[in-house]
Amino acid sequence: MSIAPGVLFTIAGFPVTNTILATLLTDAAIITIVILLGKTISLRPGRLQNIFESVVEYFYNSVKDIAGQRASFIYPWVTSFFIFIVAANLIEFIPGFESVRFLPNNVLHEDGEHGFAFLRAATSDLNLTLALAVITVIASHYYSIKETGFKSYLSRFISLKMFPIMLFVGFLEFISELVKFVSFSFRLFGNIYAGDMLLEKTFYFVMPLEVFVGLIQALVFAMLTMAFMNILTEKHH
Amino acid sequence: MEILNLLGLETPLFIFQIINFLIIAYILKRFAYKPIKAMLDERKRKIEQSLQDAQNAKIALENAGAERKKILGSAQADANAAILAAKTSAEETKEKLKNEAKKQSEQIIADAKQKAAMEFENLNKQVGQISADISGKIMSKVFENLFSEEDKQKILARALDKIEKAGYEKRAD
Repeated sequence: MSIAPGVLFTIAGFPVTNTILATLLTDAAIITIVILLGKTISLRPGRLQNIFESVVEYFYNSVKDIAGQRASFIYPWVTSFFIFIVAANLIEFIPGFESVRFLPNNVLHEDGEHGFAFLRAATSDLNLTLALAVITVIASHYYSIKETGFKSYLSRFISLKMFPIMLFVGFLEFISELVKFVSFSFRLFGNIYAGDMLLEKTFYFVMPLEVFVGLIQALVFAMLTMAFMNILTEKHH
Repeated sequence: MEILNLLGLETPLFIFQIINFLIIAYILKRFAYKPIKAMLDERKRKIEQSLQDAQNAKIALENAGAERKKILGSAQADANAAILAAKTSAEETKEKLKNEAKKQSEQIIADAKQKAAMEFENLNKQVGQISADISGKIMSKVFENLFSEEDKQKILARALDKIEKAGYEKRAD
């Protein structure tokens, strides 16, 4: 199993990979649930509404506890990351994922494997995890400027107070922001990719563990997003 | 670049994933969180309203209980006053009737006494008259042959006069 996703076909030069297909499948699942929810939503909730309400209320209350009034714009991001990553992680347990193989040009892969998986977990693709990390960081910085003002935002990274200590601290802050791209993306990618490898080799013996890992990784990503957004949208002293 | 290729990083795929997630995030926010949040707020509002209504109903019930007690107390006081007034009125009526009856009975007694006295006087008069007539007749019989006609008339007149006087004196007693 290679790290790079397998290209199934191309559309006008755009490579449609097995992870892109899984992403679209995840999207379809989420959109279907949202449509079903919209049709059945009522004051007396059904099972689906109960689950969705629990998730939304949990994240809203968690964000409100730490961010107060700023919860209104932080919680949709946090909840969206959680729902999308959970769906993307858990959808790989549908029978056929990883096991149904795709043989380009009907030849064996150079490492002796029978082609590559037709469907592969979306979060085992670094393109997706890095995209999520970039969205998290950019959204955090956007709301930071919006909430605290550009001057306060800039003083987080460039400050001449207690020269040169605070300047160095600002530099470290800047580095830590860059590191977020790596830490966010590789944590999720590494965990899910490793889980996929394990599933492939152990024939789903570790499936319960992987379900747990999928949920935990989604929660970790959402919680870290919440923490970073909260920190960045607070006034910098 | 070598490592990026090894990790499978490709700009089109990366951009696709960014756009894809932003669309999903928008759909979730617009069609899931917004109605769910509105529903949660509505439910919270209804629960708070219900609790407030229950509290108001409890207060209203307590007030109604107090009002009921007040009305019952007032009614009891009115009833007591009415009973007392009725008793007083009955006593007054009884006393009035008693006085009227007493007055009427006294009047009747007085009238009867007066009537009896008048009848007694009439009887005395009649008795005096009868006595005078009888005495006259007796005296006429007795003295018919003893005295002259003139003496007879004098004695008779004197005797009648005495009888009459005696009759008046007795009646006066």
